[in-house]
Amino acid sequence: MLTAAKQQGKVLLLSVKYNIMRQMTNRAAFITNITFMILNNATFIIQWMILFHLKEDIGGYHMNDVMVLWGLAASTYGLSHIFFQTAYNLPDLIINGKLDSYLVQPKNVLLGVISSGTNTSAIGDLLYGYLIICIFRFSIVNLLLFTLFSITGALILTAFAILTGSLSFWIVKGDMISGNLHSVLLHFSTYPDGIFKGIIRLLLYTLIPVGLIIYLPVKMILRFDPFTLLLLLGFTVLIIFLAFFVFYKGLRRYSSSNLMSARI
Amino acid sequence: MRKYIFIFKTTFLESLQYTLNIILGFVSFFVVLFVFLNLWQYIYADSTNLISGYSMEQMIWYVIITEIIFFGTRNRTLTGQMTSDIKSGTIAYNMNKPYNYIYYIVSRHLGEITLRFFLYLGIGILIGYHFVGGLAGFQAVNLILIVPVFLLGTLINSFLRMCISILSFWMEDAGPYHWIYDKIIIVVGTLFPVEMFPDWAQPLIKFSPIYVVTYGPAKLVIDFSMEMLWRVLLAQGIYLGITIIIITVMYQKGVKKLNVNGG
Repeated sequence: MLTAAKQQGKVLLLSVKYNIMRQMTNRAAFITNITFMILNNATFIIQWMILFHLKEDIGGYHMNDVMVLWGLAASTYGLSHIFFQTAYNLPDLIINGKLDSYLVQPKNVLLGVISSGTNTSAIGDLLYGYLIICIFRFSIVNLLLFTLFSITGALILTAFAILTGSLSFWIVKGDMISGNLHSVLLHFSTYPDGIFKGIIRLLLYTLIPVGLIIYLPVKMILRFDPFTLLLLLGFTVLIIFLAFFVFYKGLRRYSSSNLMSARI
Repeated sequence: MRKYIFIFKTTFLESLQYTLNIILGFVSFFVVLFVFLNLWQYIYADSTNLISGYSMEQMIWYVIITEIIFFGTRNRTLTGQMTSDIKSGTIAYNMNKPYNYIYYIVSRHLGEITLRFFLYLGIGILIGYHFVGGLAGFQAVNLILIVPVFLLGTLINSFLRMCISILSFWMEDAGPYHWIYDKIIIVVGTLFPVEMFPDWAQPLIKFSPIYVVTYGPAKLVIDFSMEMLWRVLLAQGIYLGITIIIITVMYQKGVKKLNVNGG
């Protein structure tokens, strides 16, 4: 079991390594993508500087706290899109019957699918996250916590993408639903939860798990709580199992479109 | 001109078939508005406050209008489609046709966004009425003067995006430049009016595309004055002239670099 997991991990890392090497064939475009993504994220610093100029405290957050929130959102998104980019294209693969080439591979189908692509600009997101934590709240403990929460966040985000993407096994317009849910999650993830009230706040900790990807981890970086950490780790494991379960349940309904394709 | 009107008309009629897809895309628009509305309601803890001369009601309507402009005019034709035409060489097929490629793309773009813009406008107004009610002091008769400002703003925005896409003649991927332009518009141009920026930054914003694309049209809706109208129209006239010259020169230089390998 352990050997199989190790081998699967190796395959995953190799897959990502070759994805990145493929992208690096055009070095200028590769570097431009990463640099501009860092600049792209940095433009939001202007937005928050102006907002904090108008009010000192927004939703219980100060400038440095919002920057940590932004940094974690960027690195979580980055990590997920570096390792599991294809999880976000799942509806297209399902609807157009493009899963065939993955089904014949000897390793885990779901991991094979989701790790088959890498978004180059996501490397910029990941770097931006680390730059932010180093500038605004640097300490070894914070750096370790930030890394841990980037990993848990990326895993939850990916599992959420698999769950919503797998809807396409059952629903024709599943791609629209999945895209919309994903965009809802991203929009909420870069604003303090304190500005939302009532049912929306409840939704952000349940149906759309931004609370567990971003808000709770940020609170733990600001003030550590072991009970919340256990809760977060438990939820991460649970949602991963759920994603695997739903994907394989849906896979039984999959039908090929006899599309001839090769993975190079 | 007639051929471009024809292109606009056929593309517009084509877009009517995708109404459901446009409506399903409202979710992002609604969420962005919802987040910004919550943010401004939090900042205006006391709704009678004025921040930089804006009431909460004006501020929320400002955000709604700028977001309608941003979401209602966003279209892949000017960005992904044009870049891909240049990179793949497909542009060669368009160059032999009896129209100018630049104006063909603009006509198609306008045809594609017309329905979407009005749908976003409708839903935006409904959201505004639901959250803060009507806009005090707004006079519908002013719309006759404001509509050309919206049109010019949309045209300038289209030409600026095309200038970025045309960079694909020289570089592999113009996408990152579109991200930065998008972010400048959405971060600096939709959330705050010019008056909320620090004093030193205000002149810079007034000379930037934000003034003619988002701020000018939105400001005229929430606080109309003839003086402001003339100022925005003048700035838009200058911007339009300059962007047309830039795009024409870039296109003429770019096509000389085009290499197409048969097929």
